[in-house]
Amino acid sequence: MRKRGLQLVAVVGVLLAISLPAASKEIKVLSQFPMSGPVGTLPEFGMGYIDGMNWINSEGGGVNGKKITFFLEDMRYDPTVEVANFNKYCAEHSRDEFLMATGYITGALKPLIEKVNVEEKIPWLDGSYSTEIFGIEGGPAKYPYYYSLGATYGDQIKVLLKWIKENHKKPGKPKVAFVVSPTAWGRDGLPEGLEYAKEKGLEVVAQIEYPYTATDATNECMALRKAKAEYVIYHGYSGATSHTAIFFKTAKKILKDVQLMGTHYTTGRFPILVCQEAYDGYVGVASRPFCDAIPREKTPMTNPMVKMAHEFAKKYRPEDYKEGGKIKDMFLYMEGLTYALIIQEALTRADKAGQLTREGVKKALDEMVWDFKGLFEGKKFDYRFHTIPMVQIFKAEVKMQKVGDKEVPTGAVKPISDWINVNEIKW
Amino acid sequence: MEILQVIFSGLLTGMVYALLGLGIVMIFKASEAFNFAVGEFLVIGAFLFFILFFDLKLPFIVALLGGLGLSGLFAAAVERLTIQPLLGRNPISMTIITLGLASFLRAIVQLVFGAHSYSFSLDLPDLTLEIGDMIFLSEQVWASLLSGCTFGLVMLFLFRTRWGVAIRATSESQAKAMAYGINARLILVVVWSLSAACIAIAGIAISNFGSLTYLTAMVGFRAIPVVLVGGMDSIGGALAGGLIVGLCEAFVGAYIEPMGLIGFKNVAPYILLLLVLLVRPYGLFGTVRIERV
Repeated sequence: MRKRGLQLVAVVGVLLAISLPAASKEIKVLSQFPMSGPVGTLPEFGMGYIDGMNWINSEGGGVNGKKITFFLEDMRYDPTVEVANFNKYCAEHSRDEFLMATGYITGALKPLIEKVNVEEKIPWLDGSYSTEIFGIEGGPAKYPYYYSLGATYGDQIKVLLKWIKENHKKPGKPKVAFVVSPTAWGRDGLPEGLEYAKEKGLEVVAQIEYPYTATDATNECMALRKAKAEYVIYHGYSGATSHTAIFFKTAKKILKDVQLMGTHYTTGRFPILVCQEAYDGYVGVASRPFCDAIPREKTPMTNPMVKMAHEFAKKYRPEDYKEGGKIKDMFLYMEGLTYALIIQEALTRADKAGQLTREGVKKALDEMVWDFKGLFEGKKFDYRFHTIPMVQIFKAEVKMQKVGDKEVPTGAVKPISDWINVNEIKW
Repeated sequence: MEILQVIFSGLLTGMVYALLGLGIVMIFKASEAFNFAVGEFLVIGAFLFFILFFDLKLPFIVALLGGLGLSGLFAAAVERLTIQPLLGRNPISMTIITLGLASFLRAIVQLVFGAHSYSFSLDLPDLTLEIGDMIFLSEQVWASLLSGCTFGLVMLFLFRTRWGVAIRATSESQAKAMAYGINARLILVVVWSLSAACIAIAGIAISNFGSLTYLTAMVGFRAIPVVLVGGMDSIGGALAGGLIVGLCEAFVGAYIEPMGLIGFKNVAPYILLLLVLLVRPYGLFGTVRIERV
């Protein structure tokens, strides 16, 4: 009897030992955002991501009931840090469990090409809109595991040029100038833009590189004035930084009748805070609904994802959400949240297909046709080219107003177009 | 016309650099130490003013004087804690201390004010000059005026007051000054405070071009070619060095960068510095020292 009991215990023990690792197999994902560094203190990315992931793991249904183990790193706007973090996680976690990774900077995509696409073969979502990586020359054929969460810079610039062509009222060809940043993505999309401008009969009168270390922009603005530019596309800069404020404030004085324009990262709420009135009238293209008015209560809640982000922030971080709190720009919070949601969607689809592996997640992403929980106001996108090809054009309306004893900028960037699918647009 | 625009733009910016240079030269003359924390002093001074003017809403003059006073007090505390214990030792030790101080202060600024930009616009009377195709923005003109006036006041203080005489005496020889009854330790505190106030003015003037962030401290690096071109121990050299560096940047920005050498404006002052040092190792106006070895 005693012997049989011992045998039973041994069998149960062996069975447990075999089954335990399988039962404890985790779903691990790594996300990296620039939450500090030269672009500023941007904890909102992390806040949105953490709130999104916690919601997914509690009320949001997880991955068909399974929880996601998520890791969040601040890559400090430094490609080296992003690469090092990724290498560390690859070394520490098994391929069976570590299923997806996200990054946020073009500069890190390049050194990781081999590691992500050949060695690890892990689906990688990125905040980079690099035309070189995600455009015709790159794309899924060349970088099968890279996915961008927006339209390429080339497409963004072309949308702006198309807007100029359609809205130019003065006689003669529209005179366009580019101000680009001296970064890995500063000239990205420019060749496509120049070719498109030529095709559309727009005259490109200047291309100026404006350094991050600039303390004044007089030379650059004088050069633009000399070139008689009518439209200036400021491309490849963060709207939150000091040099952007310097450029816009100087340009407003020297280039009085010039239409200032820009790509995704120069559009939004942060530039209103930093550039103030100099940002008024700016026209920019963006791949997200930049609905975060100043004051915040004036934000329209018509977009379901915007509504969701604001409700989350209000619920989980009421103090940070208040005006003057840590959430200075809800776009960044929403960005963190959208990363969490697309990760959940891809993992859930892979799991439903019975392929909760890196390859399964890749397949789920490649075949994804999704409305991104209403992010594009009902429009769906497909991920076959590894970019979310949706953009909208916004115009900034900014006014200085007295709030309490302080003169503060008020206003918002407001949509002046519908959501445009760059894969379907008639160029 | 265009060349006039470049020249005057360069001179206007150069005046701010000259003030930065003056801040370095004063400390060097008094203690033979190079203050590498100049950029951090600049940012701290500008932030102190920012709090008084934008947050506490004090009138401009009160906020300016208050900001300069607080910057001076801050520098006095720094001097007392980090430099005075090293008095009488090799000046290299003091210079190295300022390197560490720069890192420490940069971290403190980020901790207190964060890394994001603060919009910075002083509502001063518009002094924009527009002559034909030339335009000189009000911010540039104000920066130059503020810097020029401060430079002049400091010169008056140094050359027309008893304190100024004491400072110059201490700069010549600490030991001899002490023998004449001058409190050299106190003089050093005064010099550091005065230097910090000058640097703060430069910080406020530069921030008024658009915004203030901890990265504004990068401007501090411009002080290096300014003082080395002008001469480390020459107040007049700081003025000349500032104007030369300002002109150098303006010319390179207007004529060389458009040829495809983007970013060369930031490097050009250092190339100029190397050329000057090859011909005059002590700078254009620095004292030539002959040392026996």
